[in-house]
Amino acid sequence: MRNLAKLAAAAGAILLGTSAAWADDIAIGMSGPTSGAEAYFGSTWMNGAELALMEVNKAGGVRGQKLVLVRQDDQGDPKQGTLVAQRFCDDAKMLAVVAHFNSGVTIPASDVYNRCGMPQVTNSSNPKVTAAGYKNLFRPIANDFMQGGLPADYANKVLNAKSAAVVHDKQAFGQGVADVFKDNFGKLGGKITSYSGVSATDVDFSALITKIKGENPEVVYYGGTTPGVALFVKQLRSLGVKSAFFAADPAFLPDFIKTAGPQNAEGALVSFQAPPYDSSPALKGFAEKYKAVWHEDPGSYSAYGYNQAMIIVEAMKRANPLSRENVVAELHKTKYDGLMGPIEFADNGELKQPAIFLYKVAGGEFVLEYPKGSY
Amino acid sequence: MIAAILQQLINALTVGAIYALIALGYTMVYGVLKLINFAHSELFMLGAYVSFFAIALLVGPVGGPFAVVALVVVFFATFALVGSLGVVIERVAYRPLRQSSRLAPMLSALGISIILQNGVMLLIGRKPLVYPSIVEVPPIELAGAVLTAKQLLIFVVAVLLMLLLTWFVHGTRLGIRIRAVSESGITAQLLGINIDTTISSIFFLGPGLGAIAGLLYANYYGVAMFNMGFTVGMKAFTAAILGGIGSIPGAMLGGFLLGLLETVGTALLPVASGGLVGPEYRDIFAFLILIVVLIFRPAGLLGESVSEESLVYKKDF
Amino acid sequence: MTVGPQRERTIPGRAAGLERDAMLGRLRALGGLACLLAAAVLIVPELGLYSVRIADNVLIYLILATALTTVVGYAGLLDLGFIAFYAIGAYSYGLLASGKFDLHLPFLAIILIGGGLAGVAGVLLGIPVLRLRGDYLAIVTLGFGEIVRLMINNLDAVTNGPQGISRIDPPSLFGHALESPRDFFYFLIPLAMLCFALVYRLEKSTLGLAWAAMREDQDAARGVGINTTAIKLAAFGISATLAGFAGVVFCAFQRFVSPESFTFWESLLIVLIIVIGGMGNLLGVLAGAVTLVVMPELLREYSDYRMLLYGCVLVLVILLRPDGLVPRRYGPEWLVRRLGWK
Repeated sequence: MRNLAKLAAAAGAILLGTSAAWADDIAIGMSGPTSGAEAYFGSTWMNGAELALMEVNKAGGVRGQKLVLVRQDDQGDPKQGTLVAQRFCDDAKMLAVVAHFNSGVTIPASDVYNRCGMPQVTNSSNPKVTAAGYKNLFRPIANDFMQGGLPADYANKVLNAKSAAVVHDKQAFGQGVADVFKDNFGKLGGKITSYSGVSATDVDFSALITKIKGENPEVVYYGGTTPGVALFVKQLRSLGVKSAFFAADPAFLPDFIKTAGPQNAEGALVSFQAPPYDSSPALKGFAEKYKAVWHEDPGSYSAYGYNQAMIIVEAMKRANPLSRENVVAELHKTKYDGLMGPIEFADNGELKQPAIFLYKVAGGEFVLEYPKGSY
Repeated sequence: MIAAILQQLINALTVGAIYALIALGYTMVYGVLKLINFAHSELFMLGAYVSFFAIALLVGPVGGPFAVVALVVVFFATFALVGSLGVVIERVAYRPLRQSSRLAPMLSALGISIILQNGVMLLIGRKPLVYPSIVEVPPIELAGAVLTAKQLLIFVVAVLLMLLLTWFVHGTRLGIRIRAVSESGITAQLLGINIDTTISSIFFLGPGLGAIAGLLYANYYGVAMFNMGFTVGMKAFTAAILGGIGSIPGAMLGGFLLGLLETVGTALLPVASGGLVGPEYRDIFAFLILIVVLIFRPAGLLGESVSEESLVYKKDF
Repeated sequence: MTVGPQRERTIPGRAAGLERDAMLGRLRALGGLACLLAAAVLIVPELGLYSVRIADNVLIYLILATALTTVVGYAGLLDLGFIAFYAIGAYSYGLLASGKFDLHLPFLAIILIGGGLAGVAGVLLGIPVLRLRGDYLAIVTLGFGEIVRLMINNLDAVTNGPQGISRIDPPSLFGHALESPRDFFYFLIPLAMLCFALVYRLEKSTLGLAWAAMREDQDAARGVGINTTAIKLAAFGISATLAGFAGVVFCAFQRFVSPESFTFWESLLIVLIIVIGGMGNLLGVLAGAVTLVVMPELLREYSDYRMLLYGCVLVLVILLRPDGLVPRRYGPEWLVRRLGWK
């Protein structure tokens, strides 16, 4: 009986609900995986957003009110994602969210956000995320169509490649971009020698690579996240496959080169949505500031997180009076010149002019390869 | 063609050796306590992390000809540290539950696994560690196939440890005691064997071997992650079941067999099915084989071929 | 399990009065239960949608854990792949009520279809594993669970693979659309009660007694003429059907379904619920479901340390109460007796 009483007390505590923000603060929610396999991506992405809010608060906040980032772990689990979404919705101080990281979480959670009119800025690149046509949902990054399309273009036009082996990690993102690459490369007249799925937690690809070696493709495309992609290219090279290698944006990390080994990563082509960190003073400054605060290099998505938070802040500055409704309205009018170039939204919440860049690993560093001269 | 087959064999043996080493830990614990030790996969992960810091501490500063000596020290230190942790975990989280239902310690092990994984994540960080490459030896070419020094190391160390373990359980007093306890705890106790120390020694050896597997694994692939244990652990456990859980040679056989099955599943399935079934069916293939094996040999391949009745632990749960 | 009323009835003169007492007692008990339920039904929906959504999750896991109790708690067969049946139910709704194949069957029909499909899968799994016992059975069910998840992930043409099925129809019941977490709460309460009552009745039935006999000693059970094959299949089939129901509701609730929701961890979570609560005790299942679903949400305040604390609490609870939070003697009978059922 005492146990039941304790349980009741525990349940009671949650029902009262505690708000993380102080009385006059504005809360911005952020949710993604900060434990489990994608913990590194999720937490560095959030660190980027937190950095943005630190800067804004130092400069006086939004009309004197401080901004607080409320971080929640969704573990990449759709069920937890909807719970977090509801929690954010129920919090009256929460005026916008940057959520979520995985498409599989963003899609069900966006139903919840839509019902409470919450301005939602997402980092999920799956094309289906915006399919519901919610007016409160914004995606300031290029979707998978861009990400998989550019490498196919490059392989065909610049490398003149006629055959490609496509590998993906059987996750929504990895398979999504790999599918786009496969389709585009095929449409351009290329031949797909094999299309294989591995498991996201795999570290040993030697059996698959030995098979691919027999197909002798000119290009190998890998859709997936680190460290899988780094281990893949490492084993690809050590088993003596010399084909050109393409990877998607999770590989845009110094650790990709370190894990694969500089000699193995050399020549690898990685797509990413921002110009090089040293290309613009803004990005260079961001990397330095990030390192000063978090004592490590930014992760693949840190700059995205920073950008997403900044877009919200800009909208909040214009919204008067400050409410979820007005923030949504102002987000539609966004004209923000961010770390990755100008951001404007189309009616469906997608970027008007999504950008994607292809980098090549040369001498242990990422060097902009394609399209050249746009920055 | 021959080169490809040889290469696949090398691939299979490397993965299989790691599975086998981890499977030994599962099987030894299971043999005695009938416990699925979910925490074992995290001890494998800790082996990678402990050795990473031991290398940074010892090998880095020493250098030169002494590096090899330092490496041997790292080896033993990893084994001993993680092994001791295994003993502590048994003492704290499993021993008090020895009289409870069999599910209680299993779920306690699950809790320990969550604690270890998240503890390492918070303490060391979420970023995968890039494992240093200590000795760079050019790979050996074998009839067109590539064999790297690291693969050779994995294979040699794993086989050596398995031979040592076999000698240990058959040729030493403690080993004989372990076998006696695993045969029947009550009888062993009646004959004057101290069950607690015997079980502690199992919880030193099993995790120690798992830790060495973690070291070899991280050294071979070049990364260590806080969540690296889960998948590998589940596969190694499958290997232990496949070979016949509780049987030490069974775990070794199961490990190598699973490595082979996975390689075949990746390389041969797409060819055999004419491209209909891709390598993503590898794990399904492995699990199906496991189920088929268990249906025809309910105690696994090398599980003791005793009558079905002695397999039953009445009032299981 | 007393035979009280019958014994009292043997004294003829007082029988009528005692019967009336018993009736009054029953009424009181029913009234008490109704009050408890009414309290839950009235209070929970007023607590804010976040709490209601948590309550919905508790109820879904309650159905799952109640279902698994028949297999693990009553029949003594450890099933580590139970989530597969939940997945089958969920995908039934995802495929039959979405634009994927442009099928839009009614919700109640899909509940029956999903439950039926899951039940068939349960029996199909049961057949090959009849010979297996103990942990070998556990591993084969684990393998089965993983095979189902991987098949869902691989069969892109049918299930959309890792992309999952989105834009699923909102369910409607007699013309009322179920949309908000509150609607689902009102729907889940009777469904959970139904499963609860069904499983409770099963435990007391001949089938339940046969399960208990098999759990305690399979050979003795066979010796007295119990068809262990049939009752094992019954356990698998019934539990899978209930899990299928839960899966349909889960999918209708999320209006999205993807393989991430059906990992091995979810199977373990359901086993945890019944062990933490108290094996084979339905009140324990309730306590376990509340604890394990609500606790991670309570721990959200500790952000990064959440999962670490979760692990610690888990180990502590198991060490302190290895037989579960609610001891077996405090079963549903105890509650009813406390409420006055003579």
